[in-house]
Formats: sequence, structure tokens, C-alpha cells
Amino acid sequence: MSQSNKDNTLLVGFPSNGLIGTFTISYLVYHLKMKQIGEMDHPGLMPTLFIENGEIFGPIRIYKKDNLYVIMSDLPFEPELAYEFSRSVIEFVKENKIAKTIIVSGLDSQTRDPKAPKAYGLVTHQSLEKLLYENQIPKFLAGTVFGTDAAVISAFRQSSIPALVLYCECHPFFPDPEASVHAITVLSKILKVKIDTAEIQKKLEHLRIQHRNLMQETIAALQQQAGKQPKSRMPRIYG
Amino acid sequence: MIKVSENDETFDLQNIFPKLFPKLVDDIEEQTLSPLSSITELESKWIVEFDLPLVSKENISVTFDKGNEITVEAKLREAYVDENFNSKSEFHFFKKMITLPGQINEKKIVSNFKNGRLTIYLPKLFQGNKIKIE
Repeated sequence: MSQSNKDNTLLVGFPSNGLIGTFTISYLVYHLKMKQIGEMDHPGLMPTLFIENGEIFGPIRIYKKDNLYVIMSDLPFEPELAYEFSRSVIEFVKENKIAKTIIVSGLDSQTRDPKAPKAYGLVTHQSLEKLLYENQIPKFLAGTVFGTDAAVISAFRQSSIPALVLYCECHPFFPDPEASVHAITVLSKILKVKIDTAEIQKKLEHLRIQHRNLMQETIAALQQQAGKQPKSRMPRIYG
Repeated sequence: MIKVSENDETFDLQNIFPKLFPKLVDDIEEQTLSPLSSITELESKWIVEFDLPLVSKENISVTFDKGNEITVEAKLREAYVDENFNSKSEFHFFKKMITLPGQINEKKIVSNFKNGRLTIYLPKLFQGNKIKIE
């Protein structure tokens, strides 16, 4: 990848439908051997730390490799924190002269075919529409966005920095690493980086078991976010 | 989080039952995991889904009893090992019980198992006295 600022790209992922953002972004970080360069913190966040091999990690981490940046959260956000998070992402984008941002999330589709997952693109600025056409990503045409997705998209719409939201069809209430494999494939095309998905494919079923609790916490946060939306319809009952 | 605008009756759900959101508790002693599940209420039926990765269809047992309790038990194809804080736990089973409100037409309950997800369709039983419309 070149080192010019105009190529600076940020990927953003956080727990949402099917945990698509979580699986996709964390696999990319792992596969591309990206280096952690920082963390984001907020007094409103539930104090949480992850320990791996004796090392301490915060729940919202920033990674970098060449001109590719990643911000990923392992915690779902409460409605108020979603706005704070969005503002922090915009600040980061300005400070680091990010040319484009790609947010990866899940799309709750009742008509999805698990064997032929689809990804749709939603852009905040026309300048990124070219990216959709070039990569044959159908445009997300109609629907409602709420929660952290909506907060992040709104923040970008109000700024001069364009963002693309890559929505991958998935099961809304169960972890769906299978759908995230498709998101990884689409992302690799956009980024023009070769990403072998063999490793994640081997672990699909284990990942579903491993991420049950995060999925449950995410659903609780999403229901809370949905509850704050006027006239929103609650998702299905979940246990 | 995003919801697609589609003419699907599931979007008209209003009833949320917090009691049906038990915390996932795995039984280390019995080597049993609690699977994720979701319950959808439609006008005509309930749809209950269980996420059962690492499970084959022939190793699933589903029962429905008079108290509207659905119990799903399944044996994993291979052990699931959970490593935490220097401890290692091995799991071989999934088990979960869910209770539905109202009356169910148990003769018409059907289910299927695809991609490690068990879906059970439980039609509601509609009974009552006819009301004359004048």
C-alpha cells in the first residue's frame, strides 16, 4: 500500500446484528498482522479489560498497518455512548487525515439465503458511490437504520469526510461468522488486499459458541437503542 | 443495527417477555452449554429458534409438554473446550428449556434443522365462543 494521505483508510467495527463487524474487523486485524497503536476510553463505558497472554487490552482499540487504520470495539454501546463514540471516530479521522472510512455491519434480512449471502453499500457522500460500482456492491436502497450505526452515519454525514457502510445480510440474533466471511471477501476487494478466509472458515461453529454472551449483550444494547427510537418496532424476543 | 423495510408480519411484534431472557449459564459439571435462542410471535404461530453449532440433526432431541415447555437437548459432534483464567472446561451437550404462553396446537408443531439452527413452528390454538356481528 502507498503511504500517501489520500489513501488513508479507516475500518470501523462494533457489535451489531450477527456480530458481523466484530468477526470481520478482528479477522482482518489478525490476518494482516496490524499493530495496536492506541485505545479509546470513556467514563460512561462499563469498566472492562481483556487479558490475553498476560497483556491487558481495553475494549475499544485502534490498529494500523501502512495506511490502513482500524477502530474496533468489543463492547456494544448504550444509545448515549453511540454518539460519543461517533464523535471520537470523526476526531480520529480528522487528526489522521483519513480519506475514506468503511464501517462493517450486519443487515437483518428475513429473506436471506445463508448459502448466498449478500452485501449492500450505503454511502454518506456521493464521492464514494464509485467505490460501490467498481466493486459491484449493490446500493442499500430502502430501510431503517438505528442505534450505533445511525449515530456513526449521522456524524459522517455532518462532516466533510465520506464513509461507506458495508451491510452484510445475516441472522440478527445469532452470531453469524459465516456471513462475515462474505463481508471479508468484499472488503478485500475494496481494499485491494488479498485475504485468505481459510482460517476463519475452519472455526465458524466454534466462533458461534464462543460469542454467545457477546451476542446476548449486543441484543440487549440493540433493544435499548431501539426503545429510544420514536415509533421503532422492537426486534424479536430473544433469550 | 438496521432493519429492512419489508412487508413481513414479524415486524409487528409488540410483546416482549423479559422472563424469557434468561442469562446464559453453562453447566460445567454436566458439561452442558446453554444455546442462544430467539422467539418470534406471529398472529398464527410462534417461531422458536435455537443456535446449535457443532451438532448433527440425528443428535437432537426436542420435546413439548402440556405446560407449553419446549426442551431441546443435543450432543455435540466434538467437545467444545473453553479456556479461561488458566482453567479448561470441556462441553459435550446443549440443553435449554423455553416456556411459551397461550395455547398451542401441538399436533401441528413442525421443525427443521439447517446450518446448525433448529427452527420450531408452533401454531397457536384459537378457541372461543362465536360473537355475532350485527
